[in-house]
Amino acid sequence: MRIKNELAKIVGKDYVSESMEDRVKYSRDESLLPPGIPDAVVWPGSAEEVSKVVVWCNEKDIPVVPVSSKVHFYGCTIPKQGGIVVDLGRMNKILEIDTENRLARFEAGVTWEQLVEELEKKGLRPILPLLPPGNRSVLTDTLEREVSTNIVYDYGEPMQSAEVVWPTGEIFRCGSASVNGFPDSKSRGANPSGPGLDFYRFLQQAQGTMGIVTWISIKAENIPKIDKIFFAPVEDLAYAQDFLYRILPRRIGQECLLLNNVDFAAILSAKGFGDFDVLRAKLPPWTLILTISGLIRRPEEKIAYEEKFLNQVLTHEFQKMALTDNLPGFPGLGRLLMPMLRRPWPSNLPYWKSTVKGGFQNLFFITKPNQTPMFMEIMEMVASRYGYPIADIGSYIQPIEHNRACQVEFTFFYDPDDDVEKAFIGDLYIDAAKALMNEGAFFTRPYGKLASIIYDRAANYTMTLKRLKKVFDPKNIMNPGNLCF
Amino acid sequence: MSIQKQAYNALEAVVGSKYISDDPVICEGYRSGPGGYESGLGYERVMTKIPGAVIMPKTTEEVQQIVKICNRYKVPYVPYATGFYGPRSHCHVENELLIDLKRMNQFEIDEKHFYIVVGPGVIYSPIQQEAFNKGAYVVIGGGGAQASAIANLIGDGWSPLSHRIGLPHRRILGTELVLPDGELVKMGSLAHGDDPFWGEGPGPDLRGLLRGFTGLRGCLGIVTKMAIKTLPFQPEPLIPTGISPNTALALPQKRVKWVNYQMPSKAAQVKAMFEIGKAEIAGAVTKVPLFWRAIAKAECKEEFWEIWGKENEDTIKNFFIVRVLLIGYTSEEQMEYDENVLNDIMKELGGIPRPTKPSDESWLKNADSAGMWLMCGSYVSVDYIIESLSQATVHGEYYAELKRKYTPPLMPDYGDPGWFQSFELGHQGYSEFLVYWDQDEDTTGVDHFYLETSKMNIRERFYTSLLGPHQPLFLTGPKYGPNYHEWLLKVKNEFDPLWVCHPPVPLAHDDFVNRAEWMKPLKDWESPEKLPMPEWK
Repeated sequence: MRIKNELAKIVGKDYVSESMEDRVKYSRDESLLPPGIPDAVVWPGSAEEVSKVVVWCNEKDIPVVPVSSKVHFYGCTIPKQGGIVVDLGRMNKILEIDTENRLARFEAGVTWEQLVEELEKKGLRPILPLLPPGNRSVLTDTLEREVSTNIVYDYGEPMQSAEVVWPTGEIFRCGSASVNGFPDSKSRGANPSGPGLDFYRFLQQAQGTMGIVTWISIKAENIPKIDKIFFAPVEDLAYAQDFLYRILPRRIGQECLLLNNVDFAAILSAKGFGDFDVLRAKLPPWTLILTISGLIRRPEEKIAYEEKFLNQVLTHEFQKMALTDNLPGFPGLGRLLMPMLRRPWPSNLPYWKSTVKGGFQNLFFITKPNQTPMFMEIMEMVASRYGYPIADIGSYIQPIEHNRACQVEFTFFYDPDDDVEKAFIGDLYIDAAKALMNEGAFFTRPYGKLASIIYDRAANYTMTLKRLKKVFDPKNIMNPGNLCF
Repeated sequence: MSIQKQAYNALEAVVGSKYISDDPVICEGYRSGPGGYESGLGYERVMTKIPGAVIMPKTTEEVQQIVKICNRYKVPYVPYATGFYGPRSHCHVENELLIDLKRMNQFEIDEKHFYIVVGPGVIYSPIQQEAFNKGAYVVIGGGGAQASAIANLIGDGWSPLSHRIGLPHRRILGTELVLPDGELVKMGSLAHGDDPFWGEGPGPDLRGLLRGFTGLRGCLGIVTKMAIKTLPFQPEPLIPTGISPNTALALPQKRVKWVNYQMPSKAAQVKAMFEIGKAEIAGAVTKVPLFWRAIAKAECKEEFWEIWGKENEDTIKNFFIVRVLLIGYTSEEQMEYDENVLNDIMKELGGIPRPTKPSDESWLKNADSAGMWLMCGSYVSVDYIIESLSQATVHGEYYAELKRKYTPPLMPDYGDPGWFQSFELGHQGYSEFLVYWDQDEDTTGVDHFYLETSKMNIRERFYTSLLGPHQPLFLTGPKYGPNYHEWLLKVKNEFDPLWVCHPPVPLAHDDFVNRAEWMKPLKDWESPEKLPMPEWK
């Protein structure tokens, strides 16, 4: 009762709970990590309330676990050492859409569905990761640097300024929003950098361990006037990568990705395009998906020069790359997929990865595109060692910025009610991660059990992170038990 | 005027006698001043010293050992690459060691994955040429092609090409930083291996320690290696032409072309920048001060004044140029598309094309700021700030107004509101305001102007580059963040508890105001009676 009464003084009695039902709800997520029960849950309505909660927790040495999304896949919101869950879901306002400067500023609880809809009314769009759950927090995915399907360099690193409540309770604005009196200021908050240090960098990929970010602003882009989508069946991954090395640096394309038959079948079947097993059997091993767009001025001319370049490359250099506007055997695929790539996954439908077996575990890393065939072989070796059919693993390759790098994601599907299978997948996941890491896969986002493996291999980075953390969070109250903290 | 003997001997053992010296003649060569940037101002006179010794390491391991020795013997030190940044990158206390990083001048290019790995002694000129040779390009900042690429990227890193290449922070990939106590931290993919192709992680991004917006002047460690992102360019060669000093790159006009437009009004000028950004075309979109044209034309100081003397308040007031660089990244057809879109925009806004040379004199290869010294002998960019185009296009007018009060000693420029341009396809805007003076005259007014700009930015709620170590920390700190100074000082104390790394930065401007009698009348902000740092004699 004592905690509840104290927190009720800050957020109001309707916005704090110690009920077992609420605590259990926040004790687990969609990951394989074990549950952890919080002592209480609060739903603050403002940065000032967040600050007071954090100050109170700091005085009492109580862990604070920030939560913004309604769905979580990586275990970082599980209260590993108890404490207070601070759910920012009530802070769900889009604070401004500045069409002239093409920026949007919004609170932590704003979802992809909400933001896409509101931006669309102004002719703008956010740049999205691949089919993110509609009820995920945009702020969380942006801070965690979810890789987007769009490869246009100029759209990259969309985060601009941010407001953070530091672990000691101070409210602080990063970047050019740091000016006195913001947003009633000449500065619009368009620059993430500064003041003094690049504080925003400390908050990225931090899993809520460095502070609670209450709003961010991001770059918004114009909605193209015309879009065209192309598909190519891919048997030889190295050949496809050579093709992407040829076209993406020449600034061809908007969305561009490679999906294996498992992931693509999961997406299409979850959208009602057919049966998963039938699709998986019928789809090529990989499908290259590429869109080109005509922008707000002379859209047809833009489409024309990109198509001309593509045709020249296909005709003279990559005759085996069968890039056309539909995938053979799948009529209507383009019409289905093009709008999907610009929207989140509808929150009223089961998430596409959950439709295969119920549960799933992602394993993703950054590498160079020409190394992807090697990493596919490594995954095959590890899976075969476990007797796990490679035909059941989802694979997704996301080129980044003109194909200078890419993210590779493997997805293991499992039955969440089968404890034996869960344990098996957990072991496979860790062993695969180690094998990939040994060959140079770079894991930028150390979640759950991966964290200790990753930080053990990065001794000086880990020590420096701990020193920095001590400056901002001397009592280590912010989401303890994650990363190396 | 030298460092203690025991420390010197230990340092000599690290690099060998050839690469360390406390010879006054050698040390004199590292005096702040002759470079011109910020030269002759009170800050330089009060705050800079000649080094007690100079050392030139070759490897990261040597840098680490040097820094550890400095910590053991409490020898203050400053990292130094090319010294472009004037007084702020020179020694500030007596008996200080200057660590000259010029010997760390190796670079390697990964053509396929668009990055160049450089040491701190690598300057822009060769890496831009190599990048061109491989179909890529980098931004050469206003410091010029002779500036250290690393030093530039952790303090600056932009030019008109940033319309497409974007924020400098985004181009810093895997990086090695020797912390002020000598510990090494490897960031990004270097944390796990030898390939620096990726910049952030694992987990929270320690690149946040590298710069802030305009850098820390080396007070939080020494970057010994960095991978810098390049961007795809176009395939045609740019041919060097002319005889020094009138050199240029001849541009293949179907793939690279500058186009100047005279706009009918400031509103049309600004609107053009927004529209070009929204249309997602061009490689650069900028408006530069009119007197830069006089600098470009003149071959000597007298000729500059002859040209510039023909201007007046009215000509400045009615000078609305938009300068656009078109690049055919994809093909000649893409170049034509960009030009068609540009023409549409200019037709709508009444822009009139002006004759433009089929060459590039500055931004692609040289970014040659040497001409900035031409008129008066000294200059400084008092602000150079990335924010929105909304801020950028009005910021200079406030500077111009404030400047009137301090002209002279500042050079008369008839109220020119400076330079502004688009960044990241108009998602950001950039403004820069430069001032010029004769260092042989009384510069008190310049010192006062510099400080007053900070107060103006606070009052008018502008974001500014003059934060961190570039203005008194206790003046700007409470007004930005708020209280970013408290966090900066905590981070400094954690990583440099002895304050041996470039003292008294980041409190050097606070120290300057305390020590310069002529600055005291301007001090109307609160600060501790004793600044929170060790005292250096």
